[in-house]
Amino acid sequence: MALGRADAWRYRGCMDAPGAVIRTQSRSTGWARFRASLRPARLVFTLCLAAIVAGVLNPIFITAFPILLARTLFIGVLSLLAFSAAGQWPKTLPSWLPRWVVQVLVVALSLPLGTLLVYLFSVDGDWRALMQHDARLTGLVSITGVGLLVGPLLAMAALYRERDAQARSQTLAFELEKSQLERQALDARLRLMQAQIEPHFLLNTLANVRALVETGSPQAGPVLGSLIAYLRGAMPRLREQAASLGDELALVRAYLELMQMRMPDRLQYSVDVPVALEALRFPPMALLTLVENAVRHGIDPSEVGGRVDVGAASDGTSGVVSVWVTDTGVGMSQLAGTGSGLRNLRERLGLFYGVEACIDFSEPSPHGLRAELKFKP
Amino acid sequence: MTGNVHQLEVTALIADDEPLLRQSLALALSRVWPELQVVAQARNGREALELFEEHQPQIVFMDVHMPGLNGIEAAKGIARRAQLVFVTAFEQYAVQAFEQGAIDYLVKPFDDSRLADTVQRLKQRLQGKGLPTSETIDQVLNQLSEQLRKHKVGEQAWLKWIKASVGSALKLIAVDQIIYLRSDAKYTLVVWHEGEALIRTPISELADQLDPQVFAQVHRSAIVNLREVSHIKRGANETADVHLRGRSEVLPVSRAYLHFFRQM
Repeated sequence: MALGRADAWRYRGCMDAPGAVIRTQSRSTGWARFRASLRPARLVFTLCLAAIVAGVLNPIFITAFPILLARTLFIGVLSLLAFSAAGQWPKTLPSWLPRWVVQVLVVALSLPLGTLLVYLFSVDGDWRALMQHDARLTGLVSITGVGLLVGPLLAMAALYRERDAQARSQTLAFELEKSQLERQALDARLRLMQAQIEPHFLLNTLANVRALVETGSPQAGPVLGSLIAYLRGAMPRLREQAASLGDELALVRAYLELMQMRMPDRLQYSVDVPVALEALRFPPMALLTLVENAVRHGIDPSEVGGRVDVGAASDGTSGVVSVWVTDTGVGMSQLAGTGSGLRNLRERLGLFYGVEACIDFSEPSPHGLRAELKFKP
Repeated sequence: MTGNVHQLEVTALIADDEPLLRQSLALALSRVWPELQVVAQARNGREALELFEEHQPQIVFMDVHMPGLNGIEAAKGIARRAQLVFVTAFEQYAVQAFEQGAIDYLVKPFDDSRLADTVQRLKQRLQGKGLPTSETIDQVLNQLSEQLRKHKVGEQAWLKWIKASVGSALKLIAVDQIIYLRSDAKYTLVVWHEGEALIRTPISELADQLDPQVFAQVHRSAIVNLREVSHIKRGANETADVHLRGRSEVLPVSRAYLHFFRQM
């Protein structure tokens, strides 16, 4: 039933550099975007404008109006196609050449070329016939002139409108995202407020404390101290608002001390974090969730128990801080859920440090679980 | 008096994974029932069974929650060869089951007067009075072990983690973080919120193990997390594309899988 471990051909995880991995080809290609940019409104506008130009030029042309109209329509559509195509291709441009310049230039070029094409068509490609015919030459020059005057201006207007629309839709999307984030933050805070200390844990711990008291063990005092420290950190009403990594480590130490009292033969632990990192602000209960997870799913189900090691380091060049919890317990079964705890933790981490923050899980050899929080403080 | 002679020789086994609680129970028993001999203490279910076979005590105090073999499973191995007293901490469902099956139990932490009640009942039962029938014990134990199993793995065991070996490391990918899976000839691309991996497991093998409430196979070569879908765009020829939240990738939907989105 359970799946054997899979070999990963390539892998990019939490905070790994991008680029190390293949990307699936997005199907929204240049061709699709090209077609999308040929909006009906733009086409209609181009056709109307071409008709107006034909109407204006009609009195000074000998050519019949329908033929003149056909010519201006052809030139107009050709320029629109060129404008749209230049919006997608070539895919990459040198950094000194903005795309809008290319689009305007392409329109400016397509107008005389298109006009020339139309006139060459009308004289069956006879170059000399065209050059020797004054009326045709005048027509060619005047259409080109009008086109060159109007075309690039229109292209720039179209680009301006496009950018405006994009900016507006981006603002909208941003507003939406912001309101969603605010709601998520509120939800996460509420859930954290409602998070309760498990009665199971508390009663079992108290039963142990009573055993120490009954036997007059000198351990009783320190253990009660740990219980108080744990309650202070884990009870929502007693918890301080602005928590640091140092506060969280105190909570984690208190929890581990209590668990070690309960299973002295099965749990060893260490908490080893550079002092410089203790002042970092840190989402309350985030590390405790991982440590509880290590004890509950790693150490407790094992007859022989194991170690839980908590550590942290910061990378000087990237500025990424890692905080990890490694256990040598039974490891995570592929079918074992961790409830909503880990999902909530991811959510809180994202809200606290931004979307880049993440958790990486791996299995140390020969067994156990390593959970690593990575974030930029 | 044979009864008195019998009482002097009563032996017990204590099984609990927490040493302080074993000591505490032994100490309390010495106060409440000084004649009782605690002949062995076990740290888990497996040890409890071994020590039971070795010492054959008449009474077993059995913690429900223990590593390896839990208390309920261990009790099944002992069956009716001893008087069972379950020790539990706040496992409400267990307490209810014990009450129904007239099985004795103690809820941690308990005081001497509560223990004295249990000791009283044990003494009566050892003299052959008020024993629960064997069927009810078996029935309750089976029911409890089923409940414990469900409690541990959840109702249905869908895949929660994908393990992928990367060089010498073994990475765990949380299934509920996965956005989509795509396959080509031999590999499956797994994309989740924090990264992506190309694994050698064919997509068809994964498809059967993913929770159908969350994941839908929309194409022979694509599985999508339904929570990550932003919208569906219909194409020609009874096909469609799945667009994802905040991502540019688009997944194909083939005709055979289009029914997933009929009701959406």
